[in-house]
Amino acid sequence: MAKLYPAPLSAIVLVLLASKLCIPCDSFSADRLTDRRLLVLVDDLAVRSSHSRFFSSLRSRGYELDFKLADDPSLALRRYGQYLYDGLILFSPSVQRFGGSLDLAAVLDFVDAGHDLILAADSSASDLMREIATDCGGPVLFRGIGHSLNAANSLVLKVLSASAAAYSANPSAELSQPPSLTGSAISLVSIVQARNNARVLITGSLDMFSNRHEKSGNEQFVTEISKWVFHERGHLKAVNLHHHKVGETNEPTMYRINDDLEYSVEIYEWSGSSWEPYLADDVQVQFYMMSPYVLKTLSTDQKGLYSTSFKVPDVYGVFQFKVDYQKLGYTSLSLSKQIPVQPFRHNEYARFITTAFPYYGASFSNMVGFFIFTVFYLYNK
Amino acid sequence: MTKSNASDAQALIRSLRSAYAATPTNLKIIDLYVVFAIATAIIQVGYMGIVGSFPFNSFLSGVLSCVGTAVLAVCLRIQVNKENKEFKDLPPERAFADFVLCNLVLHLVIMNFLG
Repeated sequence: MAKLYPAPLSAIVLVLLASKLCIPCDSFSADRLTDRRLLVLVDDLAVRSSHSRFFSSLRSRGYELDFKLADDPSLALRRYGQYLYDGLILFSPSVQRFGGSLDLAAVLDFVDAGHDLILAADSSASDLMREIATDCGGPVLFRGIGHSLNAANSLVLKVLSASAAAYSANPSAELSQPPSLTGSAISLVSIVQARNNARVLITGSLDMFSNRHEKSGNEQFVTEISKWVFHERGHLKAVNLHHHKVGETNEPTMYRINDDLEYSVEIYEWSGSSWEPYLADDVQVQFYMMSPYVLKTLSTDQKGLYSTSFKVPDVYGVFQFKVDYQKLGYTSLSLSKQIPVQPFRHNEYARFITTAFPYYGASFSNMVGFFIFTVFYLYNK
Repeated sequence: MTKSNASDAQALIRSLRSAYAATPTNLKIIDLYVVFAIATAIIQVGYMGIVGSFPFNSFLSGVLSCVGTAVLAVCLRIQVNKENKEFKDLPPERAFADFVLCNLVLHLVIMNFLG
């Protein structure tokens, strides 16, 4: 349980609160790098000093932190339909109900809108915390400081799991039956990346973020994982999607069957401070109409340009260039460009068909034979 | 029994050959022309059996050309044959003119359908 330290409001927090204007926030936008505002909800403000190294590492990466008590009656994530923060950190494990206009539905709406969330709890986790964690898709069971993951959910990942000999139980009560959560099924830290690329981190230990463990690997672990949650790592963008016929540069409005075409897209990865070329060899493009007629792996020029060329299949219809890239730990890319494919015009077919040459020959030989026959027939003696 | 069958067959062939030798030359020329047309048709059907009927219209056009010329030649032979009582009042020039015109129509159709 966190001890209570009397802590005066620091000057930094005062400045933050004073400068908190109603700046509308979108989800991750690389153009407004310095406008990353995070709301940190705590049970008591002592957390600010006991976890100061974590918070100062966040600040050094450009985030503005807004500390509030979890039951502060002036809490609000939205004002006039726009979000005031880019991310939310819940370090308030024992709060039963949030103050102000914040509640379970508001937190879930926040994540659904594409924003990121870090949720930390400990053995005093309230039902509210457990409900948020469950609804984000992460844990099903939340016991003490361990939790388990829903095996059917493909979007969650166990980041730190307990050793095979661990079990989860109440330390102050005697065990009357074997614990129901044991071994590596216990997840201590887990992450979820939703389909809208919002990232959620759920952990059963608030102490993991605290200053107490600065000599262990905690600091680096916590820094890196918070980088991932707030989209500083593993964030991809795909731009400049082009397709054209081989030999041309403009993008046609439709293709014809059996055309040769080239497809290219540029993918960049956010490195925390700039967009770097993304390097991978497993990005694929499909030429798709109800099912992929062509599936090709894009080759990269190591500077972020991914391209390939293929032949349009012998089927006409309305196709899509689909790139559906879902790599573990990276944002999912879902690009789709529709393009019609037309059949041959009546004069685009081959004029003479090679397999029919014997028939052509036979017809002409009959005509010649007819002519020779008339000559012979009329002029024989 | 078989010996007499064999000798009967040989006698039959010999009589057919001698009877055929007596036909007039122009009829023999027509017969040669018909054989040529049918042989071309058989070659085309054999080719289609090997390769498949992909440009089916070309196949039909080629075969129809051969069959058509054969049919027209046979009609000419019937009309020109002096032993044929049915056409004894038909001048052979008229028969030949019909033959030429029908062949022209046939080859026009063939060229269009050949693709």
